[in-house]
Amino acid sequence: MWKRLALIFLLLVGTSALLSPVIAPFSYSEQFRDSANAPPGGKFLLGTDDMGRDRLSRLLYATAVSAVLAPAAAALSVLLALLACAFPGLVVGGLTTICLSIPWIFLFIILRAELPLNTDPSISVLLTFALMGVAGWAGPARVFSGSIREMMESGWMLQARSAGIAGWRIGLVYAWPHLRSVALAQFRVLAPVYILAEASLGLLGLGVAEPMPSWGNLLRDLQHPDMVRQNPAILAPLLLLMLCLLAIEAVAVKTHEKEVFR
Amino acid sequence: MKSLIAGLLVALSALAASPSELHFALHGDPRTFDPLHVEDSNSEIVRYITAGVLLRVNRVTDQLQPELAESWKILDGGKAITFRLRAGLKFSDGTPLTSADVARTIQKALDPKENSPAGGTLKGAQGAPEIVVGGPRDITIRYAAPKPSIDRIFDSLGIGPEGNAKMPATAGPYFVAEFRPGLSLQLKRNPNYWKRDGSGRQLPYIDSIRIDIQGNRDIELTRFLRGELHLIHKIDAESFDRVVREKPGSARNGGASLDSEFLWFNQAPAKQVPEWKRKWFQSSAFRHGVSQAIHRNDLAALNYKGHAHPAAGPISTANRTWFNAELKPLPANPANAAKLFAQDGFQLKDGVLRDRDGHAVEFSLVTNAGNRIREKAAALIQDDLKKVGIKVNIVTLDIGSLLERIRKTMDYEAALLGFTNVDSDPMEQMNVWLSSGAEHAWWPSQKTPATPWESRLDALVMEQSTAISMAVRKKAAVEIQRIAVAEEPIIYLVNPDYLVAVSPAVKGFQIAVAPPQVFWNIEWLKLE
Amino acid sequence: MTKGGSALFPALGPRLMRSLGTLAIVVLLGGFAAAALVRYGPGFCTDENAWNPQYSASSEEATRRRCEDENNLPQFYLRYLRGAVEGNFGTSKSYGVPVRELIESRVPITAGLVAFGVGGGVLLAGLFAWIAVWSRMPAVEAGVSGVVAVLLAVPPAVLALGFFLQEAPIQFAVSLTVLARIFGTVRTMLHDAYGSSPLLAARARGLGPIALGWRYVLRPLAPRILALFGVAVMIAFGALVPIEALCDVPGIGQLAWKAAVSRDLPLLSALSLIITFLVASIHSLGEVLAGRTSRDSEAAV
Repeated sequence: MWKRLALIFLLLVGTSALLSPVIAPFSYSEQFRDSANAPPGGKFLLGTDDMGRDRLSRLLYATAVSAVLAPAAAALSVLLALLACAFPGLVVGGLTTICLSIPWIFLFIILRAELPLNTDPSISVLLTFALMGVAGWAGPARVFSGSIREMMESGWMLQARSAGIAGWRIGLVYAWPHLRSVALAQFRVLAPVYILAEASLGLLGLGVAEPMPSWGNLLRDLQHPDMVRQNPAILAPLLLLMLCLLAIEAVAVKTHEKEVFR
Repeated sequence: MKSLIAGLLVALSALAASPSELHFALHGDPRTFDPLHVEDSNSEIVRYITAGVLLRVNRVTDQLQPELAESWKILDGGKAITFRLRAGLKFSDGTPLTSADVARTIQKALDPKENSPAGGTLKGAQGAPEIVVGGPRDITIRYAAPKPSIDRIFDSLGIGPEGNAKMPATAGPYFVAEFRPGLSLQLKRNPNYWKRDGSGRQLPYIDSIRIDIQGNRDIELTRFLRGELHLIHKIDAESFDRVVREKPGSARNGGASLDSEFLWFNQAPAKQVPEWKRKWFQSSAFRHGVSQAIHRNDLAALNYKGHAHPAAGPISTANRTWFNAELKPLPANPANAAKLFAQDGFQLKDGVLRDRDGHAVEFSLVTNAGNRIREKAAALIQDDLKKVGIKVNIVTLDIGSLLERIRKTMDYEAALLGFTNVDSDPMEQMNVWLSSGAEHAWWPSQKTPATPWESRLDALVMEQSTAISMAVRKKAAVEIQRIAVAEEPIIYLVNPDYLVAVSPAVKGFQIAVAPPQVFWNIEWLKLE
Repeated sequence: MTKGGSALFPALGPRLMRSLGTLAIVVLLGGFAAAALVRYGPGFCTDENAWNPQYSASSEEATRRRCEDENNLPQFYLRYLRGAVEGNFGTSKSYGVPVRELIESRVPITAGLVAFGVGGGVLLAGLFAWIAVWSRMPAVEAGVSGVVAVLLAVPPAVLALGFFLQEAPIQFAVSLTVLARIFGTVRTMLHDAYGSSPLLAARARGLGPIALGWRYVLRPLAPRILALFGVAVMIAFGALVPIEALCDVPGIGQLAWKAAVSRDLPLLSALSLIITFLVASIHSLGEVLAGRTSRDSEAAV
């Protein structure tokens, strides 16, 4: 029941995000300068921000940016990690350790600084998330190489090999389903991490740039507790983010458990 | 004997009273405690509180008052100045302070090897001055040609002791007792400070100052509201409104400050900027058009919660001595902007402004990343310009890459930044208006001035900074402002108000326009 | 059914040696990669204070030239490594004091936060998981998982900011962050342990929960718990960088943040060397202890 509810919720969020140009009452950048910081109600369901932009419209567009691109970046990381597993374990181990400990923030600084200045904002957003996806391969790669090693040592693998089953067949029929569930779990872990990573980058001005909204830069308003007290609707992005993460959790956990029991 | 008893009594009463400690925060580490090498605003504040100077510009009256020098005199029509030091001056460590220390400090500042910013101020038009020590309390500084502001320049020259100690002894009201990088600073009262109040009590009143290094301003505000900090010496508009609501007695608005926010176009011949775009940027009609399309009132109202004034030109309206009173804040006038663009051959078609050759008018605007106020200002400007058919792409860069672009590679189209002005004298902005200047934002370090008006500006700047007669200097400054507005190489936007939060426990402060606005008279502050 | 120490850690010697070798190489390479990234990032030799009307062009040029001369990468790195061996990491560019001094004064603060965060987080996770597993009631289990899921959905920095603004100690925020991220692993571990047949037999014999927990759960799980602590340290440390930066806690995380923002090469190199060392040792620890452990604990990160 919960799983279905969560699925419906995610679908709802997804479609409304994708349809945001149609269903959002205003453009995300339209400024109603006479009604800056308006409280929720009337023309603006969630009120307006300090430049008089409709918070609801911004939230819808932000969802389209964050809720689509962060999972895409997570998928990219998982994909790269799977590819990396084709290399010997020791090399992967060393490389991942290095990758996990270098200050990636500089790569984002370099990306932002080296992009041509008139690059379309949507392309720079895409590239930022893409870089996030590339930079994040190391974590899942470690997990995959660990689980492959474990598989190689496992009883069924020994059995299969001694039975003379071809390598590719073992990989496809036996190893892949196992690895797939690990990959799914990794994807589920990474997607929210990337949503938050974009928020941290936004604090440094390296995330999604004005006037385009993202969950990350909407969350920046939380730093001003005073504003939140005046207009609790500022909490809406946080709430939506939490609900989405919970829903993903619910869907994924149930799926995972089902697989285990089967 | 009597005086000894009196002294004992004073000491006893001082012991009885609990030591008072002023508590506030800086937003970053001071990089140096050497008064001659101060370049950042944090070190500037520490220098102001600790270093002894010969004379001081009263930040409220703008008049000079004696400090280490009990008297001074300008000689030879502004070519020389002679100081007489107070008797019995001592540094905080007890070593006596004589004219030899003053001479050594000046010589050190002028030493090219030291690369001291203070030396730049002290140098005359024709090189270093001659320093004559007339006795332990007398010193004369003599230039080859008249030196403008020959007295005021000593306001920022901190007299230091011999040697190169990291935390040198001082002759001001406090000395640095402890520095924990990235964490805090502890200043203690200088036991040998010369100044006394009317009743003969030695200043400063407050025994020590604890300065925390607090990078996050929201946290600084929270701590102030909790009563952990006594003051915030520069607060943003949003936080200010919160202080007004939660601690109404603590919020002070000092009116428009000397600081300004502005944008400018890159006019330098950089290969990264297409030829046709540079043509727009070099056209004054285009710059006026952009300027008049921007709603400065909205910037002040939305971005600064009304705590800012639309700018009228390069010098803030708050600067009563130097402001050109004929200049008025530029009103937004999109209709007139359209006319100006049309004059220059631009055409508005389907909401897109195009130049003569059909190029759509579009440019990128760089500003520093992580500065919320500027990012929002950029979004407002973007929206204003969209209404006249111009597309603006906002690019936020970290300060390092931003400076590299606007100073070194010149790979940018337009930039949005601001200046913090320390001095009311426009001489301070010399590097901005001289075509050979490093801060000549739109085309720095030119070999020869690119336009007739820039060469006229060069002449005026030299006149303003070297003339002795105040009337001549003022006239030059007024003309500089007029040209700056007529040509608008830099489009001035707003002068933010000077906002502070000071706990009612702090007594005796007077808010000034020039920095350090709240504690310029720190030795007179009291804590209750 | 007794297990000696040597049986707990099979064939430790060769594995340890191999791990140490890899560790050394990885730390060296990681440090170099970090230094290169910082050095060739844009604006490295630009003075942040250069933007003010009083700044003179000559001193800017001088600073830039000096900076570029001093920081030829291979030379810098060699000089740096030599210093690092002697425990001297050079002088910080932005603070102007020895890097060692800076780090030393901040280690206690961060170590305290990490210790509290990890200790509290592991204890809480253990408690929550034990409640979920021991009770064997779906409702209780769902309730506990629900709480953890909500905690997992709150960004650590937001959690810490909330604690800070409520004047509550932010250590608790770190604990909750750790709890949320290791709970799944702990529960699986306990679930496996409590489901094992020897334990079920003992439970049937009427052994109390404490004796049972000690003899059949904690002791056999010791290596995995140890590895779990390593992972928890990584989680806590990772969360502390934004937390310290946002709440202005003067610890290592904030230092790293400031060093990154002001491109302080000596400081950043020292920090990334330390962090590489930390990451690599924890990974090796996990590998040495048990292959399986490192996998399921990392799945939680």
